[in-house]
Amino acid sequence: MRDFELLQPKNLADALDALAQNNASVHPLAGGTDMLVDIRAQRAQPDVLVALQNVNELRGVTRTNGHLRVGASTTIAEFLKNPLLTEHDALRQAASVFANPLIRNSATIAGNIGSASPAGDMLPPLLAFDAQIELVSKNGTRTMPLNEFFLGPRKTARNANELISNLQLPISNLQTASAFYKLGLRQADAISLVSVAVWLQRDSDMIRDVRIALGAVAPRPMRATRAEEILHGQIFNETNVKEAARVASEECAPIDDLRASANYRRRMVNVYVRRMLEQAWRNF
Amino acid sequence: MEPRLVTLKVNGRTHHAALAPNTTLLHALRDLGYTDVKSGCEKGDCGACTVLVNNTPLNACLMLAWLAEGQEIVTVAGLGNAEHPHPLQQAFVDFGAAQCGYCTPGMILAAKALLDEHPHPTDDEMREALSGNLCRCTGYVRIIEAIQNAANELDAEQRG
Repeated sequence: MRDFELLQPKNLADALDALAQNNASVHPLAGGTDMLVDIRAQRAQPDVLVALQNVNELRGVTRTNGHLRVGASTTIAEFLKNPLLTEHDALRQAASVFANPLIRNSATIAGNIGSASPAGDMLPPLLAFDAQIELVSKNGTRTMPLNEFFLGPRKTARNANELISNLQLPISNLQTASAFYKLGLRQADAISLVSVAVWLQRDSDMIRDVRIALGAVAPRPMRATRAEEILHGQIFNETNVKEAARVASEECAPIDDLRASANYRRRMVNVYVRRMLEQAWRNF
Repeated sequence: MEPRLVTLKVNGRTHHAALAPNTTLLHALRDLGYTDVKSGCEKGDCGACTVLVNNTPLNACLMLAWLAEGQEIVTVAGLGNAEHPHPLQQAFVDFGAAQCGYCTPGMILAAKALLDEHPHPTDDEMREALSGNLCRCTGYVRIIEAIQNAANELDAEQRG
Protein backbone atom coordinates (compact mmCIF):
# COMPACT_ATOMS: atom_id res chain seq x y z
CA MET A 1 0.00 0.00 0.00
CA ARG A 2 1.04 3.61 -0.60
CA ASP A 3 3.25 5.16 2.07
CA PHE A 4 1.53 7.75 4.25
CA GLU A 5 1.85 9.46 7.58
CA LEU A 6 -0.81 8.51 10.16
CA LEU A 7 -1.80 11.04 12.81
CA GLN A 8 -3.92 10.04 15.81
CA PRO A 9 -5.25 13.23 17.42
CA LYS A 10 -6.79 12.81 20.87
CA ASN A 11 -9.46 15.49 20.51
CA LEU A 12 -11.25 17.69 17.98
CA ALA A 13 -8.92 20.69 18.39
CA ASP A 14 -5.87 18.55 17.61
CA ALA A 15 -7.63 16.94 14.64
CA LEU A 16 -8.50 20.35 13.18
CA ASP A 17 -4.91 21.54 13.75
CA ALA A 18 -3.64 18.50 11.86
CA LEU A 19 -5.97 19.23 8.93
CA ALA A 20 -5.08 22.94 8.89
CA GLN A 21 -1.32 22.49 9.06
CA ASN A 22 -1.07 20.12 6.16
CA ASN A 23 -1.59 20.59 2.43
CA ALA A 24 -4.42 19.26 0.27
CA SER A 25 -3.19 15.66 0.37
CA VAL A 26 -4.24 15.32 4.00
CA HIS A 27 -7.45 13.37 4.52
CA PRO A 28 -9.54 12.34 7.53
CA LEU A 29 -9.79 8.61 8.22
CA ALA A 30 -12.93 7.27 9.90
CA GLY A 31 -13.90 3.59 9.50
CA GLY A 32 -11.47 3.13 6.61
CA THR A 33 -13.78 0.83 4.66
CA ASP A 34 -13.72 3.15 1.61
CA MET A 35 -10.41 4.94 2.20
CA LEU A 36 -8.14 1.89 2.46
CA VAL A 37 -9.77 0.29 -0.58
CA ASP A 38 -9.38 3.57 -2.50
CA ILE A 39 -5.70 3.86 -1.51
CA ARG A 40 -5.00 0.31 -2.68
CA ALA A 41 -6.76 1.05 -5.98
CA GLN A 42 -4.86 4.38 -6.21
CA ARG A 43 -8.12 6.33 -6.39
CA ALA A 44 -7.01 8.13 -3.21
CA GLN A 45 -3.40 9.25 -2.75
CA PRO A 46 -3.14 10.90 0.66
CA ASP A 47 0.24 11.81 2.14
CA VAL A 48 -1.27 12.22 5.60
CA LEU A 49 -4.25 10.47 7.17
CA VAL A 50 -5.84 11.94 10.28
CA ALA A 51 -7.46 9.07 12.20
CA LEU A 52 -10.63 10.20 14.01
CA GLN A 53 -10.91 7.11 16.24
CA ASN A 54 -10.05 8.97 19.48
CA VAL A 55 -12.00 12.17 18.75
CA ASN A 56 -14.89 11.79 21.19
CA GLU A 57 -16.51 15.07 20.10
CA LEU A 58 -17.60 13.28 16.88
CA ARG A 59 -19.46 10.52 18.71
CA GLY A 60 -22.95 10.17 20.10
CA VAL A 61 -26.58 10.48 19.10
CA THR A 62 -28.79 12.93 20.97
CA ARG A 63 -32.28 14.32 20.64
CA THR A 64 -32.70 17.97 21.54
CA ASN A 65 -35.36 20.61 20.84
CA GLY A 66 -36.84 19.22 17.66
CA HIS A 67 -33.62 17.80 16.22
CA LEU A 68 -31.90 14.45 16.14
CA ARG A 69 -28.16 15.09 16.25
CA VAL A 70 -26.06 12.24 14.83
CA GLY A 71 -22.32 12.37 15.50
CA ALA A 72 -20.04 11.94 12.48
CA SER A 73 -18.41 8.78 13.86
CA THR A 74 -21.71 6.94 14.34
CA THR A 75 -21.25 3.54 12.70
CA ILE A 76 -23.79 2.08 10.30
CA ALA A 77 -24.26 -0.80 12.79
CA GLU A 78 -25.50 1.74 15.36
CA PHE A 79 -28.37 2.66 13.01
CA LEU A 80 -29.63 -0.89 13.62
CA LYS A 81 -29.26 -0.78 17.43
CA ASN A 82 -29.77 2.69 18.89
CA PRO A 83 -33.54 3.27 19.50
CA LEU A 84 -33.14 7.01 18.68
CA LEU A 85 -32.08 5.92 15.18
CA THR A 86 -34.03 2.72 14.58
CA GLU A 87 -37.39 4.51 14.91
CA HIS A 88 -36.63 6.18 11.57
CA ASP A 89 -37.69 3.43 9.17
CA ALA A 90 -35.91 4.62 6.02
CA LEU A 91 -32.58 5.04 7.84
CA ARG A 92 -32.89 1.63 9.50
CA GLN A 93 -33.86 -0.06 6.24
CA ALA A 94 -30.87 1.49 4.45
CA ALA A 95 -28.47 0.46 7.23
CA SER A 96 -29.80 -3.10 7.12
CA VAL A 97 -28.75 -3.51 3.46
CA PHE A 98 -25.55 -1.45 3.71
CA ALA A 99 -22.61 -3.55 2.40
CA ASN A 100 -22.36 -6.43 4.89
CA PRO A 101 -22.39 -6.80 8.70
CA LEU A 102 -18.59 -6.68 9.02
CA ILE A 103 -18.35 -3.44 7.05
CA ARG A 104 -21.28 -1.95 9.00
CA ASN A 105 -19.30 -2.42 12.25
CA SER A 106 -16.51 -0.15 10.95
CA ALA A 107 -18.09 2.21 8.40
CA THR A 108 -19.36 5.56 9.69
CA ILE A 109 -22.15 7.86 8.56
CA ALA A 110 -19.70 10.70 7.86
CA GLY A 111 -17.56 8.34 5.82
CA ASN A 112 -20.51 7.38 3.64
CA ILE A 113 -21.35 11.07 3.15
CA GLY A 114 -17.73 12.15 2.61
CA SER A 115 -17.16 9.45 -0.01
CA ALA A 116 -20.12 10.99 -1.90
CA SER A 117 -20.80 8.02 -4.11
CA PRO A 118 -23.98 8.61 -6.13
CA ALA A 119 -24.94 5.11 -4.89
CA GLY A 120 -24.12 5.69 -1.19
CA ASP A 121 -26.80 3.75 0.69
CA MET A 122 -27.42 6.16 3.58
CA LEU A 123 -27.65 9.27 1.42
CA PRO A 124 -31.22 9.07 0.02
CA PRO A 125 -32.79 8.48 3.47
CA LEU A 126 -30.78 11.38 4.92
CA LEU A 127 -32.04 13.61 2.08
CA ALA A 128 -35.58 12.37 2.67
CA PHE A 129 -35.25 13.37 6.34
CA ASP A 130 -33.98 16.81 5.21
CA ALA A 131 -30.69 16.43 7.10
CA GLN A 132 -28.44 19.41 7.71
CA ILE A 133 -24.71 18.77 7.76
CA GLU A 134 -22.34 20.56 10.12
CA LEU A 135 -18.75 21.18 9.04
CA VAL A 136 -16.10 22.34 11.47
CA SER A 137 -12.63 23.80 10.95
CA LYS A 138 -10.21 25.96 12.93
CA ASN A 139 -12.01 28.98 11.45
CA GLY A 140 -15.39 27.99 12.82
CA THR A 141 -18.51 25.98 12.11
CA ARG A 142 -20.93 26.10 9.20
CA THR A 143 -24.13 24.22 8.53
CA MET A 144 -25.79 23.54 5.19
CA PRO A 145 -28.57 21.35 3.81
CA LEU A 146 -27.07 17.95 2.98
CA ASN A 147 -28.72 18.31 -0.44
CA GLU A 148 -26.27 21.15 -1.21
CA PHE A 149 -23.23 19.24 0.07
CA PHE A 150 -22.95 16.82 -2.86
CA LEU A 151 -21.47 18.50 -5.92
CA GLY A 152 -20.96 15.45 -8.16
CA PRO A 153 -19.58 11.92 -8.13
CA ARG A 154 -17.16 11.86 -5.14
CA LYS A 155 -17.16 15.67 -5.00
CA THR A 156 -18.43 17.56 -1.97
CA ALA A 157 -18.48 21.07 -0.52
CA ARG A 158 -16.06 20.01 2.25
CA ASN A 159 -12.83 22.00 2.28
CA ALA A 160 -9.62 20.07 2.97
CA ASN A 161 -9.28 21.70 6.42
CA GLU A 162 -12.84 20.81 7.44
CA LEU A 163 -14.35 17.82 9.21
CA ILE A 164 -17.93 16.64 9.07
CA SER A 165 -18.89 16.97 12.73
CA ASN A 166 -22.53 15.88 12.82
CA LEU A 167 -25.89 15.68 11.07
CA GLN A 168 -29.07 17.26 12.28
CA LEU A 169 -32.44 15.81 11.35
CA PRO A 170 -35.57 17.85 12.11
CA ILE A 171 -38.02 15.77 14.14
CA SER A 172 -41.66 16.60 13.65
CA ASN A 173 -44.31 16.24 16.33
CA LEU A 174 -46.82 15.51 13.59
CA GLN A 175 -47.49 12.09 12.10
CA THR A 176 -44.64 11.11 9.77
CA ALA A 177 -43.60 7.88 8.07
CA SER A 178 -40.73 6.84 5.82
CA ALA A 179 -39.55 3.94 3.67
CA PHE A 180 -36.41 2.93 1.77
CA TYR A 181 -35.59 0.33 -0.85
CA LYS A 182 -32.32 -0.59 -2.51
CA LEU A 183 -32.40 -2.55 -5.74
CA GLY A 184 -29.14 -4.49 -6.17
CA LEU A 185 -27.93 -7.51 -8.11
CA ARG A 186 -27.60 -9.60 -4.94
CA GLN A 187 -28.78 -9.47 -1.33
CA ALA A 188 -25.54 -8.64 0.48
CA ASP A 189 -22.58 -6.51 -0.55
CA ALA A 190 -24.48 -5.02 -3.48
CA ILE A 191 -23.91 -1.62 -5.03
CA SER A 192 -27.38 -0.24 -5.68
CA LEU A 193 -28.74 0.01 -9.21
CA VAL A 194 -31.45 2.30 -7.88
CA SER A 195 -32.36 3.32 -4.37
CA VAL A 196 -35.44 5.23 -3.24
CA ALA A 197 -36.27 6.90 0.08
CA VAL A 198 -39.55 8.64 0.84
CA TRP A 199 -40.76 10.64 3.83
CA LEU A 200 -44.39 11.61 4.35
CA GLN A 201 -46.32 13.79 6.73
CA ARG A 202 -49.99 12.99 6.90
CA ASP A 203 -53.09 15.06 7.61
CA SER A 204 -56.08 12.67 7.57
CA ASP A 205 -56.20 11.42 3.94
CA MET A 206 -54.01 14.27 2.69
CA ILE A 207 -50.27 14.43 2.17
CA ARG A 208 -49.30 17.44 4.23
CA ASP A 209 -45.61 17.25 3.27
CA VAL A 210 -43.47 14.84 1.27
CA ARG A 211 -39.84 14.28 0.35
CA ILE A 212 -38.59 11.78 -2.24
CA ALA A 213 -34.87 11.05 -2.66
CA LEU A 214 -33.16 8.89 -5.26
CA GLY A 215 -29.76 7.18 -5.31
CA ALA A 216 -27.60 5.86 -8.17
CA VAL A 217 -29.66 7.59 -10.89
CA ALA A 218 -27.82 10.93 -11.16
CA PRO A 219 -24.28 12.25 -10.62
CA ARG A 220 -25.22 12.78 -6.98
CA PRO A 221 -27.98 11.60 -4.67
CA MET A 222 -30.98 13.79 -5.54
CA ARG A 223 -34.38 14.98 -4.41
CA ALA A 224 -37.20 14.34 -6.88
CA THR A 225 -38.70 17.79 -6.30
CA ARG A 226 -41.12 17.80 -9.25
CA ALA A 227 -42.58 14.50 -8.08
CA GLU A 228 -42.87 15.95 -4.57
CA GLU A 229 -44.83 18.96 -5.93
CA ILE A 230 -47.42 16.65 -7.46
CA LEU A 231 -48.19 15.13 -4.06
CA HIS A 232 -47.81 18.18 -1.83
CA GLY A 233 -51.13 19.01 -0.16
CA GLN A 234 -52.99 16.44 -2.28
CA ILE A 235 -55.10 13.42 -1.43
CA PHE A 236 -53.12 10.17 -1.17
CA ASN A 237 -54.67 8.07 -3.94
CA GLU A 238 -53.56 5.78 -6.74
CA THR A 239 -53.74 8.45 -9.46
CA ASN A 240 -51.53 10.94 -7.60
CA VAL A 241 -49.03 8.31 -6.50
CA LYS A 242 -48.69 6.90 -10.02
CA GLU A 243 -48.23 10.35 -11.50
CA ALA A 244 -45.56 11.27 -8.93
CA ALA A 245 -43.69 8.02 -9.62
CA ARG A 246 -43.82 8.67 -13.37
CA VAL A 247 -42.50 12.23 -12.95
CA ALA A 248 -39.70 11.00 -10.64
CA SER A 249 -38.60 8.55 -13.33
CA GLU A 250 -38.47 11.47 -15.78
CA GLU A 251 -36.55 13.92 -13.62
CA CYS A 252 -33.76 11.51 -12.68
CA ALA A 253 -30.68 11.28 -14.92
CA PRO A 254 -29.35 7.72 -14.88
CA ILE A 255 -26.49 6.34 -16.98
CA ASP A 256 -25.79 3.00 -18.66
CA ASP A 257 -23.08 1.07 -16.85
CA LEU A 258 -22.04 -2.52 -16.28
CA ARG A 259 -24.70 -3.02 -13.61
CA ALA A 260 -27.79 -1.76 -15.46
CA SER A 261 -29.00 0.36 -18.36
CA ALA A 262 -30.29 3.88 -17.91
CA ASN A 263 -33.66 2.78 -19.29
CA TYR A 264 -34.00 -0.02 -16.72
CA ARG A 265 -33.03 2.35 -13.91
CA ARG A 266 -35.70 4.85 -14.98
CA ARG A 267 -38.37 2.15 -15.03
CA MET A 268 -37.29 0.92 -11.60
CA VAL A 269 -37.47 4.48 -10.21
CA ASN A 270 -41.08 4.52 -11.39
CA VAL A 271 -41.81 1.17 -9.71
CA TYR A 272 -40.03 1.82 -6.41
CA VAL A 273 -41.16 5.40 -5.86
CA ARG A 274 -44.73 4.11 -6.12
CA ARG A 275 -44.05 1.15 -3.83
CA MET A 276 -42.20 3.21 -1.21
CA LEU A 277 -44.98 5.85 -1.12
CA GLU A 278 -47.50 3.04 -0.57
CA GLN A 279 -45.31 1.38 2.06
CA ALA A 280 -44.75 4.59 4.00
CA TRP A 281 -48.49 5.38 3.90
CA ARG A 282 -49.28 1.91 5.27
CA ASN A 283 -46.91 2.63 8.18
CA PHE A 284 -49.13 5.44 9.54
CA MET B 1 7.25 6.45 6.88
CA GLU B 2 8.93 5.51 10.16
CA PRO B 3 7.72 2.36 11.89
CA ARG B 4 6.49 2.73 15.44
CA LEU B 5 6.52 0.20 18.27
CA VAL B 6 2.90 -0.90 18.62
CA THR B 7 1.44 -3.05 21.39
CA LEU B 8 -1.15 -5.54 20.18
CA LYS B 9 -3.20 -7.79 22.47
CA VAL B 10 -4.03 -10.96 20.55
CA ASN B 11 -5.83 -13.95 22.06
CA GLY B 12 -4.82 -12.75 25.53
CA ARG B 13 -1.11 -12.38 24.66
CA THR B 14 0.69 -9.05 24.41
CA HIS B 15 2.99 -8.40 21.44
CA HIS B 16 5.28 -5.47 20.68
CA ALA B 17 5.92 -5.01 16.98
CA ALA B 18 7.59 -2.27 14.93
CA LEU B 19 4.99 -1.40 12.30
CA ALA B 20 4.81 1.15 9.50
CA PRO B 21 1.67 3.34 9.53
CA ASN B 22 0.34 1.71 6.35
CA THR B 23 0.45 -1.83 7.81
CA THR B 24 -3.01 -3.31 8.08
CA LEU B 25 -4.03 -5.33 11.12
CA LEU B 26 -4.30 -8.31 8.75
CA HIS B 27 -0.63 -8.28 7.80
CA ALA B 28 0.55 -7.30 11.28
CA LEU B 29 -1.23 -10.40 12.67
CA ARG B 30 0.06 -12.73 9.96
CA ASP B 31 3.62 -11.46 10.47
CA LEU B 32 3.27 -12.18 14.20
CA GLY B 33 2.42 -15.79 13.31
CA TYR B 34 -1.38 -15.58 13.39
CA THR B 35 -1.72 -17.19 9.97
CA ASP B 36 -5.21 -18.39 10.94
CA VAL B 37 -6.24 -14.88 9.79
CA LYS B 38 -6.50 -15.26 6.01
CA SER B 39 -5.82 -12.72 3.30
CA GLY B 40 -8.48 -12.83 0.59
CA CYS B 41 -9.78 -9.89 -1.45
CA GLU B 42 -8.34 -7.11 0.76
CA LYS B 43 -11.41 -5.03 -0.16
CA GLY B 44 -13.86 -6.02 2.55
CA ASP B 45 -15.88 -8.27 0.26
CA CYS B 46 -14.84 -11.78 1.33
CA GLY B 47 -14.47 -11.79 5.13
CA ALA B 48 -11.50 -14.23 5.14
CA CYS B 49 -9.58 -11.79 7.37
CA THR B 50 -12.36 -11.45 9.98
CA VAL B 51 -11.14 -10.91 13.55
CA LEU B 52 -12.95 -9.86 16.71
CA VAL B 53 -11.90 -6.44 18.00
CA ASN B 54 -13.43 -5.88 21.46
CA ASN B 55 -15.89 -8.69 20.57
CA THR B 56 -16.99 -7.00 17.33
CA PRO B 57 -16.26 -8.81 14.04
CA LEU B 58 -14.33 -6.63 11.58
CA ASN B 59 -12.33 -6.98 8.38
CA ALA B 60 -8.67 -6.87 9.50
CA CYS B 61 -7.70 -5.83 5.94
CA LEU B 62 -9.55 -2.52 6.39
CA MET B 63 -8.08 -1.58 9.77
CA LEU B 64 -4.66 -0.02 10.18
CA ALA B 65 -2.63 -1.86 12.84
CA TRP B 66 -1.76 1.34 14.71
CA LEU B 67 -5.47 1.88 15.33
CA ALA B 68 -5.84 -1.57 16.92
CA GLU B 69 -3.38 -0.73 19.70
CA GLY B 70 -4.70 -1.50 23.16
CA GLN B 71 -7.82 -3.27 21.88
CA GLU B 72 -8.66 -6.92 22.54
CA ILE B 73 -8.11 -8.85 19.32
CA VAL B 74 -9.31 -12.44 18.97
CA THR B 75 -8.52 -14.73 16.04
CA VAL B 76 -10.08 -18.14 15.50
CA ALA B 77 -7.11 -19.75 17.29
CA GLY B 78 -8.12 -17.76 20.37
CA LEU B 79 -11.45 -19.60 20.63
CA GLY B 80 -9.97 -23.04 21.15
CA ASN B 81 -7.44 -25.57 19.87
CA ALA B 82 -7.39 -29.18 18.65
CA GLU B 83 -7.41 -30.52 22.23
CA HIS B 84 -10.03 -28.09 23.51
CA PRO B 85 -12.08 -26.88 20.55
CA HIS B 86 -14.84 -24.30 20.89
CA PRO B 87 -18.26 -25.87 20.17
CA LEU B 88 -18.36 -23.92 16.88
CA GLN B 89 -15.00 -25.34 15.84
CA GLN B 90 -16.10 -28.87 16.77
CA ALA B 91 -19.39 -28.45 14.90
CA PHE B 92 -17.61 -27.26 11.74
CA VAL B 93 -15.57 -30.51 11.88
CA ASP B 94 -18.54 -32.74 12.72
CA PHE B 95 -20.80 -31.33 10.00
CA GLY B 96 -18.18 -31.13 7.26
CA ALA B 97 -18.63 -27.36 7.12
CA ALA B 98 -15.09 -26.82 5.81
CA GLN B 99 -13.80 -27.91 2.44
CA CYS B 100 -10.72 -25.93 1.42
CA GLY B 101 -10.88 -24.19 4.80
CA TYR B 102 -9.87 -20.72 3.68
CA CYS B 103 -13.11 -19.01 4.74
CA THR B 104 -13.49 -21.10 7.91
CA PRO B 105 -11.71 -18.82 10.44
CA GLY B 106 -13.82 -15.85 9.33
CA MET B 107 -17.02 -17.90 9.27
CA ILE B 108 -16.46 -19.18 12.80
CA LEU B 109 -15.66 -15.71 14.19
CA ALA B 110 -18.70 -14.12 12.50
CA ALA B 111 -20.80 -16.98 13.91
CA LYS B 112 -19.25 -16.48 17.38
CA ALA B 113 -20.23 -12.80 17.35
CA LEU B 114 -23.77 -13.77 16.28
CA LEU B 115 -24.21 -16.38 19.02
CA ASP B 116 -22.86 -13.97 21.66
CA GLU B 117 -25.70 -11.59 20.75
CA HIS B 118 -28.40 -14.08 19.67
CA PRO B 119 -27.89 -17.49 21.33
CA HIS B 120 -30.83 -18.94 19.35
CA PRO B 121 -30.57 -17.46 15.86
CA THR B 122 -33.04 -18.21 13.08
CA ASP B 123 -31.79 -19.39 9.68
CA ASP B 124 -32.32 -15.88 8.32
CA GLU B 125 -30.33 -14.33 11.17
CA MET B 126 -27.47 -16.77 10.53
CA ARG B 127 -27.44 -16.07 6.79
CA GLU B 128 -27.54 -12.33 7.45
CA ALA B 129 -24.70 -12.52 10.02
CA LEU B 130 -22.52 -14.48 7.57
CA SER B 131 -23.36 -12.36 4.53
CA GLY B 132 -19.94 -10.66 4.69
CA ASN B 133 -18.15 -14.02 4.59
CA LEU B 134 -17.84 -15.79 1.26
CA CYS B 135 -17.35 -19.55 0.83
CA ARG B 136 -16.73 -20.81 -2.70
CA CYS B 137 -16.70 -24.54 -1.84
CA THR B 138 -19.51 -25.85 0.33
CA GLY B 139 -22.54 -23.77 -0.56
CA TYR B 140 -23.21 -22.68 3.03
CA VAL B 141 -25.77 -25.37 3.94
CA ARG B 142 -23.41 -27.31 6.19
CA ILE B 143 -22.06 -24.10 7.67
CA ILE B 144 -25.57 -23.12 8.75
CA GLU B 145 -26.16 -26.64 10.14
CA ALA B 146 -22.90 -26.46 12.09
CA ILE B 147 -23.78 -23.11 13.64
CA GLN B 148 -27.28 -24.29 14.57
CA ASN B 149 -25.77 -27.35 16.22
CA ALA B 150 -23.13 -25.34 18.05
CA ALA B 151 -25.88 -23.03 19.33
CA ASN B 152 -27.70 -26.06 20.77
CA GLU B 153 -24.43 -27.37 22.23
CA LEU B 154 -23.64 -24.04 23.89
CA ASP B 155 -27.17 -23.91 25.24
CA ALA B 156 -26.85 -27.39 26.72
CA GLU B 157 -23.48 -26.44 28.28
CA GLN B 158 -25.05 -23.42 29.92
CA ARG B 159 -27.94 -25.41 31.32
CA GLY B 160 -25.31 -27.84 32.69
